[in-house]
Amino acid sequence: MSSDTCQSAYCNQGWSEVLTHMSPYGYANFGIAFGLGLSVVGAAWGIWLTGSSLVGAAVKAPRIRSKNLISVIFCEATAIYGVIMAIILANKVKKPEEATSSLPEDWDWAGYYYSGYGMFSSGLSVGLTNIASGVSVGIAGSSCAIGDAQDASLFVKILIVEIFASALGIFGIIVGIIQSNSCNFPIAALE
Amino acid sequence: MSTPAPKSQPGDMASFNILHGFPEALVRGMRSSFLADADYHHLTQCETLDDVRLNLSETDYADALADMNALIPTGLQKAAVEKLVTEFQYLRTQAIEPLATFLDFITYEYMIENVMLLLKGTLSGRDINELIAQCHPLGMFKESTMRSIPTFESTPRGYQDLYQTVLVDTPVGPYFSLFLQETASRGEVSNVLEEVEIEIIKSSLIKYWLEDFAKFVDSLGGETATIMGDLLKVRADTNAINITLNSFGTPLNEPAMRASDRKRLYPGLGHLYPAGTSMLADVGDEDELGRVLELFPQYSSIWNVHAAGGGTDGKSIDDAFYERDVQMLELAFEGQMHFGAFYAYVKLKEQEIRNLVWVSECILQQQKEEIHKFVPVFSFNAPWRSGSKSRAGGR
Repeated sequence: MSSDTCQSAYCNQGWSEVLTHMSPYGYANFGIAFGLGLSVVGAAWGIWLTGSSLVGAAVKAPRIRSKNLISVIFCEATAIYGVIMAIILANKVKKPEEATSSLPEDWDWAGYYYSGYGMFSSGLSVGLTNIASGVSVGIAGSSCAIGDAQDASLFVKILIVEIFASALGIFGIIVGIIQSNSCNFPIAALE
Repeated sequence: MSTPAPKSQPGDMASFNILHGFPEALVRGMRSSFLADADYHHLTQCETLDDVRLNLSETDYADALADMNALIPTGLQKAAVEKLVTEFQYLRTQAIEPLATFLDFITYEYMIENVMLLLKGTLSGRDINELIAQCHPLGMFKESTMRSIPTFESTPRGYQDLYQTVLVDTPVGPYFSLFLQETASRGEVSNVLEEVEIEIIKSSLIKYWLEDFAKFVDSLGGETATIMGDLLKVRADTNAINITLNSFGTPLNEPAMRASDRKRLYPGLGHLYPAGTSMLADVGDEDELGRVLELFPQYSSIWNVHAAGGGTDGKSIDDAFYERDVQMLELAFEGQMHFGAFYAYVKLKEQEIRNLVWVSECILQQQKEEIHKFVPVFSFNAPWRSGSKSRAGGR
């Protein structure tokens, strides 16, 4: 092993050093970005999936126009979950009180790293589940619009499918909130 | 023959709706414009054609019949076909590649029919304007193209000229060029037929069109390839069986002609290809045809309808084929995010137009006992839906 490790002063000692040297602030903000961005991708995906079918089916059956906007609202809800999570997380990112170039020795390192990783993970939880939920609601909503145009009694039954699909997004935000609950960025050295 | 490669894939469940969601939802909305069982019931109860018109004015055909004075079967057919063409043109203008090429493929069949109509019409010396009025609207060429088709003579040399001057720019040009290559490769050996018969030309062109369409659909992949591939295979088999059946009693059935000429007309796809078509190539009469079809379960039941000579309700083999087609085309509407619904819509609308013409002809000629011999589309009383009659759902 001594022949593999590089001796220069600038080398890393392996992945652990690389990963722990990435700033928790970076992790946390990426978590916010992923949470919001991926949720919006999922919501948008679902909306264009269901919207195109809704508009086409409404040509021959105009009565479905208002009712089937519920599918679009379900998709929109996944974006709202992303926004809620992003706002909660963004409020937890705090600047240190003293503007020093390096953090003091008795900084709350444990809490520091915990917050970074926790917020990254909760952002991913929300974002990835909302992509799945958005696409799922979109496909179901597209079939709902087309089926409703033929037979009005189908609407409520397919809506139940969509409700289950949008529950997936709720799972994401619940877990995300639990994960980020005890994440607090330290702002001063421990007393 | 180089089938055009699709410019993009239609996409699967999660991406189909980007480009094709709107046209697909349109065609599925148009599904509700088919006449229902209740409409057919009212129509068959009518005494005169004015009653028929009254009943049709409550269906989707109200606008189509608005400017008609008195209803006659040919006028009804023309109005209904115009309505189908308007809807199809609307779909075509909303379509993006590859759906646009797919819809164009559907129209090529009618273009082939129109070209053949014009060629055949000039052989019998009919007026060009009358012929153009009879052309199917879905397969129209430019006016100048259509007017120049009958000016060519129906000899192999004439067809060559026709292709090079007129048809080469049209979408059916490649099929014609393949046909010409084939006749050229056979040389001047056609001693039985001096001129190539019009029907053989049409069968050859339809065969090339089917093979081209099937290759295109295959390259689209996904559910479209599965569903449309099946529909086209069944179409090819129907053609092969009909060619064989119609050749009995004509020079095409001579043993010398069977292997060379008739076999050439069988399409290169289908459930009957290749084993079935090579057997069909040797068939000389109806018994042999029946024996060959016994080996294929899906066709033996249809053949038995023909062999029974009509059976209890006087069905012919064409009726049996229509029924089977309607069943398969209705299934093409199941399952979203594929192109099968467009093809099925055109074909099922054609069936409905046939039904309407049949019913009005029966009423005109006062033949009430024949009036029920049509195949309704999306009917709850269809034999393949008899299991669901006990359900309380539906409209």
